[in-house]
Amino acid sequence: MNNTSDPLPPLAASAHVAHVKHALARLPGSMVNVDASRMAIVFYCIGSLDLLGVLETETSQVDRTSWRMWIWEQYVAGRYGTGFRPGPFMSTSVHSDQNGPHIIMTYTALLSLAMLRDDFSRLNRPGVLKFVNSCQNRDGSFSSMPNGGGDSDLRNLYCAFCICSLLGDWSSIDVERATTFVGSCRTYEGGYGQLPSCEAQGGTTYLAIAALRLAPPGPRPRLTAAEQARSEHWLVHNQDASGGFRGRTGKAPDACYCFWGGAALQILGAQDKLNAHAFTQFIAACQFPFGGIGRAPGQPPDPYHTYLSLAAVAMYAPRLEPGARRYGQWEFAPFDPLLNASGDTVRWARSHIPARRF
Amino acid sequence: MIPAPAPPPPVLYSTRPEWSDVEPLQQYEKANPLAPILYSEEYKDATDYLRGIVKAGEKSERVLALTEHVIRLNPAHYSAWQYRYETLLALDAPLDTEVALMDELADKYLKTYQVWHHRRLLLLRRGARAAAAELAFVGRILQRDEKNYHTWAHRQWLLASFNDDVLWGGELDFVDSMMNRDVRNNSAWHHRFFVVFQSGVREGEADRERIVRRELIYVKQNISLAPNNASAWNYLRGVLEYNRLPFSTVAAFVQPYTVLLPEAATDIVDLENPPPGRGAELPCAAAVEFLADVYEEKGGADVQTAVGLWRSLADEHDTIRKKYWEFRIRDALTALQ
Repeated sequence: MNNTSDPLPPLAASAHVAHVKHALARLPGSMVNVDASRMAIVFYCIGSLDLLGVLETETSQVDRTSWRMWIWEQYVAGRYGTGFRPGPFMSTSVHSDQNGPHIIMTYTALLSLAMLRDDFSRLNRPGVLKFVNSCQNRDGSFSSMPNGGGDSDLRNLYCAFCICSLLGDWSSIDVERATTFVGSCRTYEGGYGQLPSCEAQGGTTYLAIAALRLAPPGPRPRLTAAEQARSEHWLVHNQDASGGFRGRTGKAPDACYCFWGGAALQILGAQDKLNAHAFTQFIAACQFPFGGIGRAPGQPPDPYHTYLSLAAVAMYAPRLEPGARRYGQWEFAPFDPLLNASGDTVRWARSHIPARRF
Repeated sequence: MIPAPAPPPPVLYSTRPEWSDVEPLQQYEKANPLAPILYSEEYKDATDYLRGIVKAGEKSERVLALTEHVIRLNPAHYSAWQYRYETLLALDAPLDTEVALMDELADKYLKTYQVWHHRRLLLLRRGARAAAAELAFVGRILQRDEKNYHTWAHRQWLLASFNDDVLWGGELDFVDSMMNRDVRNNSAWHHRFFVVFQSGVREGEADRERIVRRELIYVKQNISLAPNNASAWNYLRGVLEYNRLPFSTVAAFVQPYTVLLPEAATDIVDLENPPPGRGAELPCAAAVEFLADVYEEKGGADVQTAVGLWRSLADEHDTIRKKYWEFRIRDALTALQ
């Protein structure tokens, strides 16, 4: 499978477009467990369209406007600042803490709005900074909701860093304490666990390395050369003989870990140290015959694996000569591995989200 | 076999007289919902009443029944969990009863963050007296799903938070029992490292040299039983690096694993250097890599030996990582100049 001469099966772009458009239109009742994280599903779906470069061609202006409206409907002010909630699953006419903003949903909403080229004129920047501040815990970590509400782990910390980076304002959080917390999640294997004392895992390793790279410069380098080398070692060893990445030592490969592992290597500047052809082959084989991408060959697809797989190949698919483009090619516009969105979307976000200076 | 009868349709809250005093609140969503979920009638009805209860601020016994119902339909419904916890506290409800229910739910919804978060909140309330039973519970769950990340994380949190010698006392035996089931279980290897090196020094473990020797023998024996086990090799590297020991400390042990046919074993059993078992698939790529690191560490002319070993990995024993090995070759040769 890792033979570089094996041709890649075609990218079934239009089938993937249909898969995520279908999800945006309706999700089956069996997916009720995403009721409290709907904004993330929206991000994966719109993000897939963005990566495939079809947002303008495959959706109407009317659709995109109504999608933006829906996202803004989830923008709520709580006692501890403003941000986005996952969806209307607890919405009532009165305010309650059960209906407040959530840090992961705030990050996914901001990027989804940037994909839809929103002008962010409605964003209350000091309110968002206050919200992010209220989610930081004493040990430097972040909870998903204010005052230690919800669970605390590296996912929330990464989202807090992305939000501060997008706003261009780190003044509301204690960056040094937060990066020390990230360091305490590093394990002897070279990866990072979800919390200090936890086993190294691909997703949390990405979150840790991306967070350290997003952070403004500190008194010392955020990563030593030896720490980087150990992370690279662990990451490249998670590439399975099939080309796919596993999330932990000894586990089976999964398309989503192709993203987490592959993006972490990009951030470390070690993108040339993995087998990109076998990597793309694995993801190509995870394409479901009727559209969408699953975690492994033959597995049913979902928006999460579809988006992360496309993002993974956007970083590693072979670059083609402009004239060589044709239907089914694995060809993508530049991708930003730090914030996890297309380069154009990140550029839009960075120029429209920060507070305007007058 | 006679098929089980279909479960009766759920009795909706909207038809129950004992709930008639609650004003149900439908989810408020404007005209163009994005990624709407086709809720079941049962879920829609139960969450209508949950929203109604939250708006009214009611905290009573029936709220416990209602939130349990919503959680069973959607264990990731964090607001139901949060409101349930607040209600438990408001009612001063017996937390042991709650834990019994949670034992069942944790078993069912192992992969849900909220299940474990709720247990954590309960434990912090119940205090150290409950920790031993919790540890036993986590052990039982791990028998069923040996690599479940949340469950291991919960165990590590429990040990670190209560930091009680009695709790720590059984951990190495526990790791052994997990390792006996599957020597390739990386979660168990990680847990061993956490217990031995990352959680402070406990009674009887003050002689660190002896502990390091014990760990090296442990990992070597496991490698000898199953040489192609990335978890064990990572552990070996981890023990040496953490204790600032050069890799060459174990070069004599590693060498026989790097060749196709090791010299015939003698009758003398060398505990320090257990040889590969009969039928082992050799050479073992992790051993070849390890030996290359030993030579690179030595520097000078030995670097060329390391280069040869990396070459064999790139071309033969570990071709998927060809680019990585070629990078290591370039890197080492540059450092040499």
